[in-house]
Formats: sequence, structure tokens, C-alpha cells
Amino acid sequence: MTSTTPAESDITALQGALAAEHAAVYGYGVVGAMLSGADQAAAHTDWIAHQEARDTLEAMLGKLGATPVAASPAYRLPFTVTDAAEAKALAALLEEGVTQAYLAVVAVRDAALRSFGALAMQPPANRAAAWRGSTVAFPGMPG
Amino acid sequence: MPALLSLNACKGPGVPAVLSGPPPVSDQTTMLLHAVTEEQNLIWLYAKASAAHPELALSPLLAEHRQHLAQLSARVVEPPGKKIPGTVTSKPAIGATSAAAVAQLRAAEQRAVKVLLSRLGGASPSLAQLYASVAASEATHVAVLDSLGRPQ
Repeated sequence: MTSTTPAESDITALQGALAAEHAAVYGYGVVGAMLSGADQAAAHTDWIAHQEARDTLEAMLGKLGATPVAASPAYRLPFTVTDAAEAKALAALLEEGVTQAYLAVVAVRDAALRSFGALAMQPPANRAAAWRGSTVAFPGMPG
Repeated sequence: MPALLSLNACKGPGVPAVLSGPPPVSDQTTMLLHAVTEEQNLIWLYAKASAAHPELALSPLLAEHRQHLAQLSARVVEPPGKKIPGTVTSKPAIGATSAAAVAQLRAAEQRAVKVLLSRLGGASPSLAQLYASVAASEATHVAVLDSLGRPQ
């Protein structure tokens, strides 16, 4: 991170990643409620990972002098989740959203932030693949 | 004589671009051409490992590497007409056992991720995103290979 004034695009990209992490933290509450056993344990682990990532982003934004975007009180789910299969599909979708948000961070000018975004998108890309049951050629890119 | 005069007039600092040598390849293009070669090396390795150990069912990962290569190659836009290298520069012997082959592929994927991430700084925003996305894909391949390497 440089000590110069951060570009507005840097802040915007980090806020986008934070918003995606907030949504994932909320979404995993729904995911976990529909799963059991090892799947529920995996969802819990992933939920914790998103909370940690959220805290990291809030700290980064604070250091840059920005007010971190707050979580919404509630989020509209992209589809109704009534069983384990739908819960896994939601988990994959949440991870894809977070991956995409970190990929936006890679487009900023600051080299350190680019590296941060590129590294940060790997865990959600891996989790998306695990929930989906398959890999994709270009994680984070519009399908 | 008039033709000779006009040619002489083209010498010097004001030489029209059409008569000067080809422009130097930019650092970004050099990096991109290296990335293309590295992807070709990975494809070669996967193809050989698939042939030697078909039980590993590596086709989906190989197909994704071919997609990476297509996208990276499509970004080579300068200098005009420059041929994209088609040569595999690394042809190691494939591990004799499936476990050895998996370990070899895993190490190659990890190396590729590291190299791609080292190229982010000198790339345009969209190329940096392509490198990061390919690196993330290759990181997911490492996880798949880990699961193949685990005793069932």
C-alpha cells in the first residue's frame, strides 16, 4: 500500500469487495440452515472465512481514510432456498460474487492492491468450485 | 534520377514509419508471449500425463488450459503480424506412477500461479484481470489435483 492519497477507484473497488463479503456473510446463514453434517460444517468454515475477509477489508478501508460500506439489514436471495441442493447452489453463487468483486480490485492502478485482489480471489474461487462440484476456466469473469 | 532523389530524402530522423524497422516489442507483450509459452508447456504436460495415466481423468483441466491459451493468445495484438510462438519449451519426463504425475502437475500449476501473479504490475488493467483469473483457475486445479492425490 502506498502512503499517497488513494485513488477513488481503489476505494470503490475495495468497497465493492466488502459489499460482496457482507452479502456472503448473510447468505451463508441461509446456506447453513439448509445443510447438515459435513456440508454444514463446511458452510460454517466458509462463513467464518467471509467474516475474516470482511474485517480485513474494513481495516484496509479505514487505513485509507474511507468509511467502510455497511451491511444491509437483509438481502434478497437470487432464488428460493428450500433444500440442500439449492443451498449449495446459493453458496456457489455467493462465492462467485465475491470472486468477481476481488477481480475488480485487480484492475486498479496500485500494484499492492492488484496483488491483494488476485490473491484474495483464490479462496472464493476454490470454494465456488467445491460447492459447484466443478472448476471453471475463468473465475470472476462474466460468464 | 528523380527516384534516387526521393529515396535520399527519406533518410534521417524524419524517416516515415513505413520505411523504418519493426517497432520493438513492448514489455507487456513480451510478458504475454511468455505467458502463452507457459500455458503451452502446461498443456503439453497435461496431454502427456493424460495419455500415460488415463485413470486420472484430466480432460476437464486440460480443456480449461486450452481455454486459457486461447484467451492469452487473443490478447497478442502487437506487433502486427508477429507470429505467436507455438513451441513447447519444457518437455519433462512424466511421472511413472499416477501419484508422481499428479505431484508433477500440482507443482507445475503452483509455479504457473506464482509467475502469473508476478506479472500483474506491468500489465494493463484488463490483462492483469486475465492473469489473475487464469491464476485463480490454476489454483482451483491444485485443489482438484490434491483430491486426486488423496487415498480414496
